[in-house]
Amino acid sequence: MTQSAASFEERLALAARANGELRAALASVLVGQTEVIDQVLWCLIANGHVLVEGAPGLGKTLLVRTLASSLELQFSRIQFTPDLMPSDVIGTNVLVADTSSAGARHFALHKGPIFGQVILADEINRATPKTQSALLEAMQEHAVTIAGVRHVLDEPFFVLATENPIEMEGTYPLPEAQLDRFLLKVLVPAPSEDDLTQILVRTTGHEQVQPRAVLKRDQVLELRSLCRDIAVAEPVLRYAACLVRATDPSAESAPEIVKRSIRYGAGVRGAQSMILASKASALLEGRAHVAFADVQRVAPACLRHRLIRSFEGEADAVTTDQVISQVLSAVPTRPDGIEKAVRKG
Amino acid sequence: MDIRREDKTSHLFQRHARHVRITLAFRAALTGTAIALCVGVLLSALAWRLGWSSSYRWWFVLAGPLGASFSLLHAHRNRWSDLNVALYLDGCLRSSEAITTAVGLNATGADSPARTVVMRDAAEALKRVDAIRPRLRVLRRHHGMIPIAALAFVWTVRLPMRVTVAPPTSPGTNLVSVADVQGLEKVIALDALRTPDPAQRERLKRIAQDANALRDRLSQGMERREALSELARLRDAVAAERMSIGDGERRAGLEVAQGRLAQVPALRRAAKALGDRDLTRFDDEMQRVAGAREQRDRDAARQALEDAAQEAQRAGAPDVARALEDQRRLFDSREGRAQVLRDFGKALDDQLSPEAKKELDALSSGVGNADTAKLSKALADALGRLTEQERARLAEKLARQAEGDPNVSPMSKDHLRKLSKQLETDEGKRNLEEQLRQMANAPDQSEESRRQRSLDDAERGLGEAERKLGGLPIPMLGSEGSSNQRGSGSDESSSDQSGAPQAGSHHDKGHGDHKGSTAPVDGTELRARAGGKINPAAPMPGVVAGRGQARIGETANVRGSGVLGEVGPGELGGVERSEIPQEYREHVGRYFSP
Repeated sequence: MTQSAASFEERLALAARANGELRAALASVLVGQTEVIDQVLWCLIANGHVLVEGAPGLGKTLLVRTLASSLELQFSRIQFTPDLMPSDVIGTNVLVADTSSAGARHFALHKGPIFGQVILADEINRATPKTQSALLEAMQEHAVTIAGVRHVLDEPFFVLATENPIEMEGTYPLPEAQLDRFLLKVLVPAPSEDDLTQILVRTTGHEQVQPRAVLKRDQVLELRSLCRDIAVAEPVLRYAACLVRATDPSAESAPEIVKRSIRYGAGVRGAQSMILASKASALLEGRAHVAFADVQRVAPACLRHRLIRSFEGEADAVTTDQVISQVLSAVPTRPDGIEKAVRKG
Repeated sequence: MDIRREDKTSHLFQRHARHVRITLAFRAALTGTAIALCVGVLLSALAWRLGWSSSYRWWFVLAGPLGASFSLLHAHRNRWSDLNVALYLDGCLRSSEAITTAVGLNATGADSPARTVVMRDAAEALKRVDAIRPRLRVLRRHHGMIPIAALAFVWTVRLPMRVTVAPPTSPGTNLVSVADVQGLEKVIALDALRTPDPAQRERLKRIAQDANALRDRLSQGMERREALSELARLRDAVAAERMSIGDGERRAGLEVAQGRLAQVPALRRAAKALGDRDLTRFDDEMQRVAGAREQRDRDAARQALEDAAQEAQRAGAPDVARALEDQRRLFDSREGRAQVLRDFGKALDDQLSPEAKKELDALSSGVGNADTAKLSKALADALGRLTEQERARLAEKLARQAEGDPNVSPMSKDHLRKLSKQLETDEGKRNLEEQLRQMANAPDQSEESRRQRSLDDAERGLGEAERKLGGLPIPMLGSEGSSNQRGSGSDESSSDQSGAPQAGSHHDKGHGDHKGSTAPVDGTELRARAGGKINPAAPMPGVVAGRGQARIGETANVRGSGVLGEVGPGELGGVERSEIPQEYREHVGRYFSP
C-alpha cells in the first residue's frame, strides 16, 4: 500500500471516527434532531453555510454552541435586530487613548462578532438589508473590510443563520440572490413526544451537560480537504445536473408541478451545493465515492431555498419540498433500460 | 500492488460485463425471434389467403433466424457501455455506485486520491456478483410467443389451398373466344354474291362486313350473349334477304305468277315452292319438269313460265318476273340435257352402275329429282370405257332409237341421229365424253337459285355458329316445304353433349326435364316463313295438307255443320283470312282439318 493510499484510507477512517465522536458529543447535549445535525455537519464539512428555519426554542442556538464547543472553535452569536448596524457585525475602528504617551490617541480595531469561527446569526431576517449584506459578504469572501483594511477571517468560518418563520411583521426576508449563498436550508422540526420528554428531563434539572471537544480546528480543516477528494462518478454528476434542470419550468424534463408552481428553478449553485453536500455525506459515512442516494438525501436541503414559486404555486400553497419530492420521483437515477433491468431483472 | 489490484478489479469487471452483455444479446435475440416468428405467421397466413402453395409458405420460417440476426445486430450496436454495466451492477448489488465510480476513474485515468479506496470498494462489490447473481433474466414473458408462433406457423403452412369459387356470372356474360367460326365464312362470302338489285347488293355487302367484324371480335373474345345476339341479327338479315323476293308490294305479282304456274298440273309443286319463296326448291322442280318425259308437259311448262313472267311484271313484281325469265331460259337447256342423258342412258343401260340406273329411272319417270350431274358423270365414264366395237354398237343403237320409236319427237330423232353420227369416230366419242363431263360439272342452276342457295348456306352457317356458342337457333324450313316438316332442328340443338335435354334456366329448381312429349323428328332443317300480306283478291295457291281449299270472299264467321268430324266449307277459309301469323296457320288450320 502506497503512502498516499494509506494516508487517504487513514484519513477516511479518521473522518468516520470523527463523525461518530462528533455525533455522540452533540447527541449528549441535543435530543433528537439527527437530520438537522447531519445537515449541519454536511454544511460544515462542505465549507458552506447553513440557513436554519424553525420556531423559537427548538435548540438552534444550543446546536451551534454545542457544535462549536465540540470542535474547539470560537463561537459567536449575533442577534439581528432592526437597528443592528453593519459595524455591529463586522466591527469598527475605535479611537482610543494611547497609554504610552499622554494625550496621544490612535484607532484600534474593535472586531465584531463575525470574527468568530462558528457564527450564529440569529433572526437574520430582522436586520436591515445593509446589515445582512455585511454578513453575507463575509460569508462569501471569508474576509471583511473595515475602513479600507481587509481582514481575513479565521478558518473554518461557518455561519449558521436562522430565520424566525413566525414573526414576519417588520422583517426583511433575505432576497433570493442572498439565499443562494447558503449551502443548505435546514428545517428544524418540532420534537416528538419522546424527544420533548427527554428535553424536559435534561433542561429542567440541575445538571447541565457540557459538550466535550472531540475535534480540533486542524481536523476540521482536514475533513474539509478530504471532502473535496471524494470521487464522484460521471453518472452521479449527470444525475445532479438532471435534478437541477428538472426544477427549471422551461425544461422539457420538468414535471408538471414545476411548470405550474415554480417561477425560477435552482441554478448552478444548487448543483454545486448538491455535489458538495453529497461528498460530505459520503465522507461522513466512510465512503470515498458519492452514490445516488447521497444526492437524493441532500437534494431537499440544497434546493428548497433556491426554488422561487410562481403565483400559482403560492396560491396553491405548494411548498418547495413538495416540488423537490416530485422532481426526485420524476428524474430517474439510471437510464431507462438499466433502471428496468435493475428493477425487473 | 495497487496496480495489480486495479488490474484484478478491471479484469473482474470485464468478466461480469461480458456476461451481462451476452445475456442481454441473447435476450434481444429471443425477442427478435418472437417478433419475427409472429410476423412470419402473419405473412404465411397472408400467402395462404393469396393462394400460395405450402412450398412457398415454408420460406417464411426464415423470418425467425432473420429476426434473431437483426436483433443481435441491434443489440451489438446498442450494447451497454462499461458505465451502464457498472450502473446495472451497482443497482443490483446496492453498492452505492462504487463500481460505477471505479469504472469512471479507470476510464478517465484521473489521478484521484480516492482512487485506490474506490477500487477496493468496487472489488469488494464485484466479489459479491457471483454470490448474488444479478437478476438479469434471459427469458421474458413475451418470449413465450416463440413456441406459440412456431406452432401457428406450422399450422398456417399446412393449411390446404383455398378453393376460390368464382362468383356466379349473369347468364351469357361469360366471354367466349372462338378462333375460327366456320359458319361465318359463308356469311362473309355473301360479299361476292351477284345480284341484279343494287340495293340488295349493298345490304349483302353490309351483312358480310358485319359478319367479318363479328368474326374478329369473336377471335378476341366477347360476351356470349352479345355474340348470340349479333348472330341472330345477322341470321334475321340473311333470312330477310332470302325471303325478299316478292315481298311487300310485290306480293301480288308473286301470287299472280304462282297462280298461273299452278294452272299446269306438272308445275303445281313448283308453284307452291314459288309461293313459299323457296327458289331452290322451285329451281329443282323446274329442273324436274324440264326433264319430263312428255313433250306436252314440257311445252305447257314453258308457256306457263313465259306467261307467269309477264303477269308478274305487269303486277309490279319485277324480281319475280326476272326469276321466271331466268327459269324460262334454263328450261330449254335443261330439256336438252335431260334428253341427252335419257337417250344415252337408255343406250348404255347395261353399262351403268345401279346408282346411275336409279338416277336414270328417276329422270325417265319424271318423279323425284334426278341427280343429272351424277348421271352425266356415270355416262361419261361408261362412254370412256367403251371399246371400238361397243362404240359402234352404241352408235347403231342410237340410230335404231331414232328411227324405231314413234313416240320420240322429231327434234329428238335429229338429236339421236346426231349422237349416233358422233359415235362413229373416236374423236366424236371423245367429244361426246367431254360434253358429258362438262355437263356433269357445269352448274345447272338459275341465278336466283344459286343466290338463294348461298343465302341458305349463310343462314345455315349462322345457325351452326349459334349452336357452337351454345345458342338455340330458330329452325329453318327445309327445301321440301314447311308443311311436311316436323321441327327437327330444335330438339337436336337443345340437347347437350351427353344427349340429354338441357334445363331452361339456371334458376330452375325443379327436377323435371324439358324433353317434352313430342317425338324427335328426322328433318335436317326447318325454315321460317316470314309473314306476308294476304291478298284477298287473288286466288289462294297450293294445297296445304290438313286444310281445304280456301275461297275468295269467305269469312271466318261461318256457322259450322254441328256434326263431329265434318267441317263447313266456309270454316276452312276463315283461317286463311284471319290475323294469325302465317307460320302458325299450319298448326291452327289442323284444328279444323277433317
